[in-house]
Amino acid sequence: MNEPDTLGAGLAHSGVSRRSFLKFCTVMASLMALPPGAAQAMAAALSQAKRQSVIWLSFQECTGCVESLTRSFDPTLEQMIFEMISLDYQETLQAAAGEAAESARDEAMKSSYGKYLLIVDGSIPTKDGGVYSTVAGVSNHDRLIDAARGAAAIVAVGTCSSYGGIPHANPNPTGAVSVSDIIKDKPIMNVPGCPPIPSVIAGTLAYFVTYGKLPELDHIGRPKVFYADTIHDRCYRRPFYDQGKFAKTFDDEGARNGWCLYELGCKGPTTYNACATIKWNGGVSYPIESGHGCLGCSEPNFWDKGSFYRPLSTPLADNAHIIAAGTLGGIAAGAVAAGLSRKHQTHIGEEK
Amino acid sequence: MDLLQFARGPALTWAATVFVFGITWRLVGILLLQRSPDFSEARNATSWLGAIKLIVTRSWPRREFRQRTLFAQSVGYIFHIGLVIIVFGFAPHILFFKALTGLVWPNLPSAVINLTSAITLAALIVVLVRRLSHPVLRLLSNFDDYFSWLVTFAPVATGMLTVAHFGARYETLLAIHILSVALLLVWFPFGKLMHSALVFISRGTTGALFERKGASI
Amino acid sequence: MSTADIDSIHPLELDQPRFSVKNPAVRYDKQGELPDVQRVELAMRAFVKDFGAVAATYLESCIHCGMCADACHFYVATEDPKYTPIWKLEPFKQAYKREAGPFAAIYRVLNLKKKVTVEQLEAWQELIYDSCTMCGRCTLVCPMGIDIASLVGLARHGMNQAGLVPHELWAVAERAQREGSPLGATPKVFKDRCEWLADDNQVDIPVDKVQADVVATMSSIEIMKYPDSIVATAKILNHLGLNWTFRSDGYEATNFGMLSGNSAWQQEASMKLIHATIAAGAKLLILPECGHAYGAIRWQGANIYGKPLPFRVLHISEFLAENTQNGAIKTKPLDKTLTFHDPCQISRRGGAIEAPREVLNGLGVVPIEMKDTRGLNWCCGGGGGVVTIHRADPIRYKAFQIKMRQVDDTGAELLVSSCSNCRQTFDDGQDHFHWDKTMLSLLELVADNLEEK
Ligand code: SF4
Ligand code: SF4
Ligand code: SF4
Ligand code: SF4
Repeated sequence: MNEPDTLGAGLAHSGVSRRSFLKFCTVMASLMALPPGAAQAMAAALSQAKRQSVIWLSFQECTGCVESLTRSFDPTLEQMIFEMISLDYQETLQAAAGEAAESARDEAMKSSYGKYLLIVDGSIPTKDGGVYSTVAGVSNHDRLIDAARGAAAIVAVGTCSSYGGIPHANPNPTGAVSVSDIIKDKPIMNVPGCPPIPSVIAGTLAYFVTYGKLPELDHIGRPKVFYADTIHDRCYRRPFYDQGKFAKTFDDEGARNGWCLYELGCKGPTTYNACATIKWNGGVSYPIESGHGCLGCSEPNFWDKGSFYRPLSTPLADNAHIIAAGTLGGIAAGAVAAGLSRKHQTHIGEEK
Repeated sequence: MDLLQFARGPALTWAATVFVFGITWRLVGILLLQRSPDFSEARNATSWLGAIKLIVTRSWPRREFRQRTLFAQSVGYIFHIGLVIIVFGFAPHILFFKALTGLVWPNLPSAVINLTSAITLAALIVVLVRRLSHPVLRLLSNFDDYFSWLVTFAPVATGMLTVAHFGARYETLLAIHILSVALLLVWFPFGKLMHSALVFISRGTTGALFERKGASI
Repeated sequence: MSTADIDSIHPLELDQPRFSVKNPAVRYDKQGELPDVQRVELAMRAFVKDFGAVAATYLESCIHCGMCADACHFYVATEDPKYTPIWKLEPFKQAYKREAGPFAAIYRVLNLKKKVTVEQLEAWQELIYDSCTMCGRCTLVCPMGIDIASLVGLARHGMNQAGLVPHELWAVAERAQREGSPLGATPKVFKDRCEWLADDNQVDIPVDKVQADVVATMSSIEIMKYPDSIVATAKILNHLGLNWTFRSDGYEATNFGMLSGNSAWQQEASMKLIHATIAAGAKLLILPECGHAYGAIRWQGANIYGKPLPFRVLHISEFLAENTQNGAIKTKPLDKTLTFHDPCQISRRGGAIEAPREVLNGLGVVPIEMKDTRGLNWCCGGGGGVVTIHRADPIRYKAFQIKMRQVDDTGAELLVSSCSNCRQTFDDGQDHFHWDKTMLSLLELVADNLEEK
């Protein structure tokens, strides 16, 4: 990848107009609720910025996150991203393969040591020496440690690299963990979602390129600009929730009327993500709008929180057996207690 | 496992188990104690009617007692009815029962629930103030009375905060709310909250015994 | 203590409006020489022994709502929280939870409920005896339907075993056990009285007939204080032409064993009446104008006997009602307004609520009911042995004022009841407050107005 060095030049080179570049900056700035004038500043900064060297490592993953990014409806978005960065290593996207690819990565790691951004998708298996996912004979674990050493910051894209994701789900056969479980000494930003919204990935990258640092993060490492509110806080069905109007099945009157999906297991109230505001497919819709409850995909352990169709206010486990056992145990204990009391009474009676 | 998972999972499971275990233990432990036969000639043979009669009629004070007990009875009624409305009328609660029993019934509008919760909370505070200030109640009250009050008050209060998303993140509030319910369930069999079951047994017992004699009930 | 000692320490007092033992200069509220630990032990054992599912249900159910206080004359009259009915049982509730309840093991192991102490029991003597007539009014207000009065009865068993019965109540109970009557109405005294009453009043009073269809009984209060009741009983039974008798081996219907909490003495006293009735081959036992006697025999008699009684048991008011309604008793109309005081043990707790009213209707009067009447009446304050206890006089008088107010509010000319213990409590109250109302006996009222055949 041997293109011009500044972003402005690169964009011009690949035929992106100044106009659409400004539009991109405006959209990003507004998505991140940056102060007025930030779009201009961002545009200025970006066009002057040297393209950010990025190394993208894919570990135990499904490629959904990259798919999300590259399949985003707006070709300019993808383009923008790849213009902003110099993607020095990305197994899925790069043309090179095998040893050539490996050496390109090593080269970038050396030349941009201490400056490159490390993006990770996929979780890291740790069981059995990490044998469950290796590239070129090196375990993901070792590769991550190696690559993290020279990174300016790390961005964990997707729920797997952020919190372990689906591989981490019970019983977690590979001992999958997140990036932050392994790397403790680098700034890490989690961009969870299964997959994350493309504009969110783009926005956070733009922020890093513009300001040279990660945006403000919440208590589990997510950029607050996108993850400050719950789906439920911003859900257009919220008025129905507040009125206590719920769809009971996916095809009932309530569902047709667009009532709240809480009873159908929607996890919106406990899920922090931007779906309800930014939406998917360039703002067309988002899952709840399409009639299905939120699965809570941007939250840790979302796969282990009971059925997607189990309402939030219900117990997670099926308690029937243990409750039955408790009842029988209680009857036994009660009978013993009463028996002892009776024996005690007869005893006193006989003594007299 | 996060707090909400803990609350919805193990906490609820164990609380429910302790709940049923304790209730059956206590009830069976009482009911299996000795009962002596009554050989006296009954005035009324249909003593069970007396049981039903007392269970029903003791739900409101007799005229003779009305004046002295009106306030206490009214506040008691307010928060009991309030609790029933909240526990059984709020949609997320109905889902909870549905998950346990499979039974469903229509829910009440949230506005009704919110108003009821506020009234119930106020009534519970009045009840506490009365318990702390009335000489008779102060004398009678022990740990059970105050703790039972607390475990009743807490779910209502935390429930309201949860619905209002006030004070903390929703998942934290919801978890705390569920944990407060778990605490209620665990305490239920061991304290005075058991009166919700014992009231029928106790009233029924007196009703039957007294009806047999033709005594006043 | 020798018998002579007891009699000299507890001399009877039969010249006051209320019959009891004399107000003691030094109180002996602790009987026997037991060490304290043993007293508690005995109290708890007696309490636990008599425990059943019913009492357990009650002790488990209390929600500490305090409403029972509002029903009890002792609380209402004094507003002193310690007179809250259920509080009177506090040490016994504590003992129950620790010794007999379903969670007893937990309470014991974690010592969540402390062991009851003798100091507690001594402090509670006043609450278990002096300030509870076991009238059961509190039972009617309790939202949990707890029969507090019956629990006080159980608690008295424990107190008695511990030797913690109030001086006077123990003295009369002991005398009743020893002489057959708490107030000196020994069989000899009773027979003599019947003899001179028969002579004085020109009425036949059969005593110790070998066979009789009906056995009548008396309360020692009537024998000693209201002997006219004996005459009235005889007049009516003779008027009806019944083959009846008193029996010197079973005439005393009061049961101070029961009131003091001594089950053995209670049993003995009850068995005397039961055996006497059976010995006479009678089909009917008539209980006198005495409240607790009704509870003792009508409701507890068969259980003490261990099987159904082979005869009917009626309170005199029930007997009079039956015979008024079937026309056997005819009375002259009474040209006075009148109110009726329901004796707790007969009305509220005994179930004979309408009988006295039917009798009064026979006399041509519809009683002016008090504001709280029938099962909801206010107790006179003297039942359950309370009237015998001098120490209880101050609160008893306070409680009595509620009753006086109720009676006065009716504006009735006459005041009638069917319990001689209520009657002497009223007499005592009348004397104390210089009140203008004298309590009359329903029985005597009927006897005095019998229409000659
Ligand atoms: S559909 Fe889900 S996110 Fe939307 S209001 Fe209902 S519960 Fe909240
Ligand atoms: S709606 Fe919920 S489950 Fe669906 S993508 Fe958004 S956060 Fe994930
Ligand atoms: S039985 Fe009568 S005297 Fe005793 S506590 Fe109850 S109301 Fe008071
Ligand atoms: S009225 Fe009943 S429940 Fe209330 S304090 Fe008295 S005994 Fe307990």
